[in-house]
Amino acid sequence: MKLAGLKSVEGAHDESAWAAAWVPETDTRPSLLLTGSLDETVRLWRPDDLELERTSTGHCLGVVWVAAHPSGVIAASSSLDSFVRVFDVDTNATIATLEAPPSEVWKLQFNPKGTTLAVAGGGSASVNLWDTSTWQLIATLQIPRPEGPKHSDKSGNKKFVLSLAWSPDGKRLACGSMDGTISIFDVARAKFLHHLEGHFMPVRSLAYSPIEPRLLFSGSDDAHIHMYDVEGKTLAGAMSGHASWVLSVDVAPDGAAVASGSSDRTVRLWDLGMRAAVQTMSSHTDQVWAVAFRPSGGSSRGGRLASVSDDKSISLYDYS
Amino acid sequence: MACVYIPVHNSQEEVRVALDQLPRDATDILDILKAEQAPLDLWLTIAREYFKQGKVDQFRQILEEGSSPEIDEYYADVRYERIAILNALGAYYSYLGKIETKQREKEEHFILATQYYNKASRIDMHEPSTWVGKGQLLLAKGEVEQAFAAFKIVLDGDRDNVPALLGQACVEFNRGRYSDSLELYKRALRVHPDCPAAVRLGIGLCRYKLGQFGKARQAFERVLQLDEENVEALVALAVMDMHANEAAGIRKGVEKMHKAFEIYPYCAMALNYLANHFFFTGQHFLVEQLTETALVVTNHGPTKSHSYYNLARSYHSKGDYEKAGLYYMASVKEVNKPHEFVFPYYGLSQVQLKLGDLRSSVSNFEKVLEVYPDNCETLKVLGHIYLQLGQFEKGQEFMKKATKVDPRDAQASLDLGELLISSDPAAALDAFKTAHSLLKKGGQEVPVDLLNNIGVIHFERGEFELAEQSLTEAVGDGIWISLIEGKVKSNPTDAAESVRLYKDMKIFTELEEDDGPVELPWNKVTALFNLARLLEEIHKTEPASLLYRLIVYKYPDYVDAYLRLAAIAKTRNNIQLSIELVNDALKVNDKCANALSMLGDLELKNDDWVKAKETFRAASEATGGKDSYSTLSLGNWNYFAAMRNERRNPKLEATHLEKAKELYTRVLVQHNSNLYAANGAGVVLAEKGQFDVSRDIFTQVQEAASGSIFIQMPDVWINLAHVYFAQGNFDLAVKMYQNCLRKFYYNTESHILLYLARTHYEAEQWQDCKKTLLRAIHLSPSNYVLRFDAGVMMQKYSALTLQKEKNKRTADEVRSAFAELKNAVRVFGQLSAAANLNFHGFDEKKIATHAEYCKHLLEAAKLHCEAAQREEEQARQRQELARQVALAEEARRKAEEQRKKQLEKRKLEDELKRVEQQEEHFKRVKEQWKSSGPKRRERSDNDEEEGGHSEKRRKRGGKKRKERGSKSRYEPEETEADMVDDQEYPEDEDANLNYREGPANETQEQDDDEVEENAQGLLAAAGLEDSDADDEPSNAGKRKPAWSESDDDAPEQQPNISPVRENSAEPQESDTEVIENSEKPNGDDDMDEDD
Repeated sequence: MKLAGLKSVEGAHDESAWAAAWVPETDTRPSLLLTGSLDETVRLWRPDDLELERTSTGHCLGVVWVAAHPSGVIAASSSLDSFVRVFDVDTNATIATLEAPPSEVWKLQFNPKGTTLAVAGGGSASVNLWDTSTWQLIATLQIPRPEGPKHSDKSGNKKFVLSLAWSPDGKRLACGSMDGTISIFDVARAKFLHHLEGHFMPVRSLAYSPIEPRLLFSGSDDAHIHMYDVEGKTLAGAMSGHASWVLSVDVAPDGAAVASGSSDRTVRLWDLGMRAAVQTMSSHTDQVWAVAFRPSGGSSRGGRLASVSDDKSISLYDYS
Repeated sequence: MACVYIPVHNSQEEVRVALDQLPRDATDILDILKAEQAPLDLWLTIAREYFKQGKVDQFRQILEEGSSPEIDEYYADVRYERIAILNALGAYYSYLGKIETKQREKEEHFILATQYYNKASRIDMHEPSTWVGKGQLLLAKGEVEQAFAAFKIVLDGDRDNVPALLGQACVEFNRGRYSDSLELYKRALRVHPDCPAAVRLGIGLCRYKLGQFGKARQAFERVLQLDEENVEALVALAVMDMHANEAAGIRKGVEKMHKAFEIYPYCAMALNYLANHFFFTGQHFLVEQLTETALVVTNHGPTKSHSYYNLARSYHSKGDYEKAGLYYMASVKEVNKPHEFVFPYYGLSQVQLKLGDLRSSVSNFEKVLEVYPDNCETLKVLGHIYLQLGQFEKGQEFMKKATKVDPRDAQASLDLGELLISSDPAAALDAFKTAHSLLKKGGQEVPVDLLNNIGVIHFERGEFELAEQSLTEAVGDGIWISLIEGKVKSNPTDAAESVRLYKDMKIFTELEEDDGPVELPWNKVTALFNLARLLEEIHKTEPASLLYRLIVYKYPDYVDAYLRLAAIAKTRNNIQLSIELVNDALKVNDKCANALSMLGDLELKNDDWVKAKETFRAASEATGGKDSYSTLSLGNWNYFAAMRNERRNPKLEATHLEKAKELYTRVLVQHNSNLYAANGAGVVLAEKGQFDVSRDIFTQVQEAASGSIFIQMPDVWINLAHVYFAQGNFDLAVKMYQNCLRKFYYNTESHILLYLARTHYEAEQWQDCKKTLLRAIHLSPSNYVLRFDAGVMMQKYSALTLQKEKNKRTADEVRSAFAELKNAVRVFGQLSAAANLNFHGFDEKKIATHAEYCKHLLEAAKLHCEAAQREEEQARQRQELARQVALAEEARRKAEEQRKKQLEKRKLEDELKRVEQQEEHFKRVKEQWKSSGPKRRERSDNDEEEGGHSEKRRKRGGKKRKERGSKSRYEPEETEADMVDDQEYPEDEDANLNYREGPANETQEQDDDEVEENAQGLLAAAGLEDSDADDEPSNAGKRKPAWSESDDDAPEQQPNISPVRENSAEPQESDTEVIENSEKPNGDDDMDEDD
C-alpha cells in the first residue's frame, strides 16, 4: 500500500484548516471535499485538482468539524460558537441551525443510513442525536459520571466529549473524551454499554473499520493509535510512532490501512497487517488536523486521502 | 687402570699406587710420599685423584701438607710444583668461595684462596698459572676488571694460554662483550681442540647471547655429546626449546629441564624455568617449592630476581596481591636497573594499581616504559591511570601514543575511545570506529560494549539511524528482534487491563509456553536498554516498552528499565501506572534518588503536595544532598508553593520564594553550570521584579541549552518571553512564544497560546489575540478559562472600538465590534448555562454580570451601529454626490476643453483668413497704396482682447470649482457636529461600567477578603477575572493567569510574570537524568589482567 501526493493547495483557507470530509457523489456531480477552518468558512473543493467550488460563510468563530450526509446532498458543520449549521451542499442554503445548550459542539457525524446526526457535546459529557428529517433532538447519550464523592469540579471536565464514530451498522456509537476513555453506546436503546480504556489523554479522533465492524481505531494526544475490539472490550493493539498528538485517524475503505494526522506535522499510513507505519508524508508545515479517505463506491476510481493542516493548506493523495 | 709410581728414595724401585685404589686415609699415602721424598708433582697427582673421586678432605690434606713450610724448605728449588700445589689450593678455595652461599664463609674462602695465590706469586711472580688462578678468583669475587688485568698479564706472555683464554672469555662474557668472548673461546678451542665441554658451553652461551640460536644449539649439543650430564648445556637447550614457543618445543624443553633437575637439583636456572613452566600449567604449589629452592641455592642477583618474580607471579595470579607485591618488590630489589629485568616492575605496578596505589604504580609503569617505550599495554595502562588520577590530557596522550604505536591494536583504539567519551565524544567515536573496523578486518568478534558505545555516541549526537544500526548490531539476534518488529503477537488485552499495559508480562509467559525459555544474555542488557531508549526517542514507544519489559522480566533488579517504563506511562498521562512502576523500582533500591525524584514529580502531578515534598526530601537525603535534581525539585516545590496560593499571603509567599532561591543557589554552588538551577534563580529574580538581571540569566541559559538533544528547556524560552512581555517588548515576546511553541511543543501547548494571546491583548492586536485564543480553545476544549478570556477579549475590543472618537473609526470597525459583542454575549451565555452543570466552576454570578454587561453594551452598540450605518449611508451619499459633482465637473471641463479647442481652431482659421485677407488686402493695398495702416492695428487689438477674455473665463471656472470643494469639505464638519451629541453614549457606557464595578466588587468582597486589589478601581472585567481565578477548577497548582487580570494595569504589574511559575520546572528533567544515567557507556576496565 502506498500514498502518493497528488496536489497541495497552499493558502486554501485564510486561517488554520481544521476539518475535512468527503461529500459522496450525487447523480449530478462527483464527490467533493468539504473543509472547515478557523477563518469561519466552509469550502468545497473539486478533486483531483482541488478547484475551489464554493466558499460558504455563516459561522462565527472557527469551524471545528464538517460532516456530509451519506446521500451527498446535505452536510453539516460545527463551530466554536456551539452552533451546528446544516446546509444544502449544492446551493449552500441553510437547512437548519442546531444548538443544544449548554452542550458545545465538536465532532459530528451522520449515521450510515443518514437518519441521524450525532454531535459530540463537549463539556456536557454527552452526545446529542438529531433527527435528519425533522431536525429535532431525539436523544442525548450521557456518559455516566464516575462514581465517588468528589467528582464535582475537577472530574467534570474530564468526560468532555471530543470525538465520536458510528459503527458501520449504525448500531453502536463510540465517543472519545478528554480523559482518554472511550464510551460505547447502544444507539437503539440509547444506552451506555461500556468504556474502553488505555488512553489517558484526550481522544481526538475515532474511526470504525468499514470492513470489520468490531474494530475501532482511536487517536490520542498520547501520540498512540489504539486498535480496540469493541465487542470483546479488548485492546487489540497499540501503534506508536508519531512524535506528538494524534489528531485524526481514518480507516481506508479496504480496511487494510489507517491514515493518521498528527501535531508532528506528518500524515502517516499504517499497515494493519504489520501494525507499523509504512509511510510518512511531510508535506504539511504545521499540525495536521484532519485526514479523510474518500469512501469507496460510485463512479470515482482510485482511493483518495485528503489532509488539512494548521498551515492553511489542503493536500490530496492517491491511495493504492 | 691408571697407576702412579712413587720412586723409592735412594733406589731404583718404585711403589706402585693404583689410582682407583687409593687408601681411604690419606695419611698412609702422605707417609709414603714424605718417606720416599717423592717429587711434588706426584703429590699433586694423587691429591687431584682424590679430588676427582670426590674425596675432598684427603685432597686438601695432601695439598696442605704439600704446601707446608717444611716442604717449602726441603723442596726449595722445586718451584713449579710448589706453585702448582698452592695454585691448586687457591683454585679449590676459590671454588668453595664461589659456591658458598653464606657471605662470611664465602669471604673466608676467598681470603684463603688469595693467601695461597699470593704465596705462589712470591715463589715466582711470572708464573702464568698463578695469574690464571688469581684471575679466576677475581672473577668468582665478581671483580671483573681486575680479573681482566690478571688474564691479560698471562696472555701478554703467551697468547695461546688456554686457561687464560677461557678466563678472559669469561670476563668478556660478563662484560657483555659476547663477540669478543666468542673469539677467545674459539681461540682456546683451536689451541686445544680437546678441551673440556665447558669451553663449548661458553661458545654456545656467547652465540646464544649474540642471537645465533642455531649455532648456539649446535654448541650445546656438542657439549652434551662430550658430557651427557652437563646441566648448563641441558638447561640452555631446554631454555631454547621453550623459547621456540611451540607445544612440541616446550615439551622437549621441559623434559630437558627435568633431566637437568634430576642430574643436579640445585641449578637455580633450571629451577626457575621449571617454576616458570609450572606457573603456566597452573601448578602453583610446584612453583613455590621450586622457586624457594632456587632462592636458597643461589645468590646470583638476576636469578634470584627471577625466582622472586616467579613467586610473585604465582601469588598475583592467585589473587594474593599483598604477597605478590612483596615478592615483586624483592625481585625488583635484586635488579639494579629496569633494563636488566623489567617484568617484576610491570607486575609490581599491576599489583599497586590493584591495591589502589596509583602513584607508585605509575612510576613503575614508567620504568617499564623506559625499557620498552613502545609497549602498547603499558601505554594503555598508564593512560587509564592518569585518567583515574584526573590528568586527562596526560592520559589521552598515552592512549593516543598507544594507538599510534600500533595502529592495528583494536584494544588500544577501544581504550582511547572510552577515555575520550566524556571529554570529546567525536574523537571517541572515531576511535571506536577504528577499533570496530580493525576487529572486523581481523575477523574477530566485535564486543557488544564497543557497538553499544558507538551507538550511544551516535545517539547523543542525534544521529538516530546510525545509532540504531550500531545498537541493533550490538544486541544481535534474539527474541528482541521480533519484539521490535512487532512479530510477537500477544493475545488481546482486556481493555480494562490495558491500563496496566506497561506492567504486563503476559507476552513473555506466553512466549515461554510456546517456544521455550526467553533468553537475554547479561552482556546484552545494556545495549538492549539503549536500543529501547533510542526507539523511545524516535517515538517507537511500543517496541521500546516491550524491550524494557523484557529486561525487567529477565532482570527484575534493573531499576532504569522500570523508570523508563514509568516515564513512558507518565508521558502518556497514566499516572497511576507510572507510580506503580516507580514503586517497583524503589522495591529494588529504596534509596534510588532517580526513582524518588520521579515519584515526587508524579505526586506533584497528582496534586499531592505534602507527599511530594517528603519524597523530594527523601531523594535529597538518599544522595546526601548531592543530587541536584532533588534539590532543584524542592526549590521548584517552594516556588510553586509561593505562587500556588491564590489568596496571596505575602508573608508566606516571600518565605517560599526565599527558600526556593536558597535551594537554587545551593545547586548552583555545587554545579555552577546547572541550567535548571540558573533558570530557577532567574524566575525568582523576575518574580521580584529584577527583569534585566533575569533576562540576562535566561538568555544565557537559552544559549547553553541549545546544544544538546537531551536538554529540552522550553521553560527558559517562555520565561524570557515573559520578561520581554513584562518590559513591554511585545513584539519580541510574541516571537519568543511562537518559536517556543513551534520548537518544543509542535504548537500544541494551549498555555503558551494563552500567554501569546495575552501579549497580543496588551499590544491591542485584537484579531491576532482572538485567533490565538480560538486556537487555544480548539486545542484545549475543556479549558473554559480560555472561553471566558475570549469573551472578555471580544468585550474589551468592542467597548474600546465603540468608545473611539467617531472620526477615528470606520463603520466596518463598528460593525465588527458589534459582531464580536454578539459573540461575547453568546460565549458568556454559554458559560453561564454551563455553570449550572458545574462544567468549569466559574462563579455563575460573575459570568452573568459579564453577560449582562455585554448585552447592555450590545444595545448601546446597536445605536452605534445604526449611527455608523447612517453615517456610512450619509458618507456613501456624500461620496455619491461628490462623485456626481466630480463627474459633472469632469464633463464640464471636457466641454470647456472642447470649446477651447474649437476656439483655438477657429482662431487659427481666423488667423488664416486674416492672412489671406491681408494678402488680398496687401494686393489691394498695392493697388490702393495710401489708405491701409490704422485699420489693421485696430484689428489686432481686438484679437488680443478676445484672448484675454477667454483666459479670464477659465480662471473663473477654476475658482468656482474650488468653492465647491471647500463646500464639500465643510459637510463632514457638520456631521461631526452631529456626532458630538452621540458622544453621550460612550459616556453613558463609562458610567455604566463604573456602576457595574460597584456590585462586582461587592460580590467579590463577599467572596474573599482581598479588598486592596479590588480597591484599585479596575474595570469590572478585571475585577471579575481576578476573583474568577480563585474559583478556577483546573489544577490549583497550575493556575492559568488569565491576561485579563491586568486589564487596565501597567504591564509592570507583578502578576504579569506569573505565567513563569508554571513552566519553570517541568518534571521532564527527570527523564533526562535517567537517560544520562543509563547511557553511561558500560565499558569495563580490563586493565588488571594484561598478562
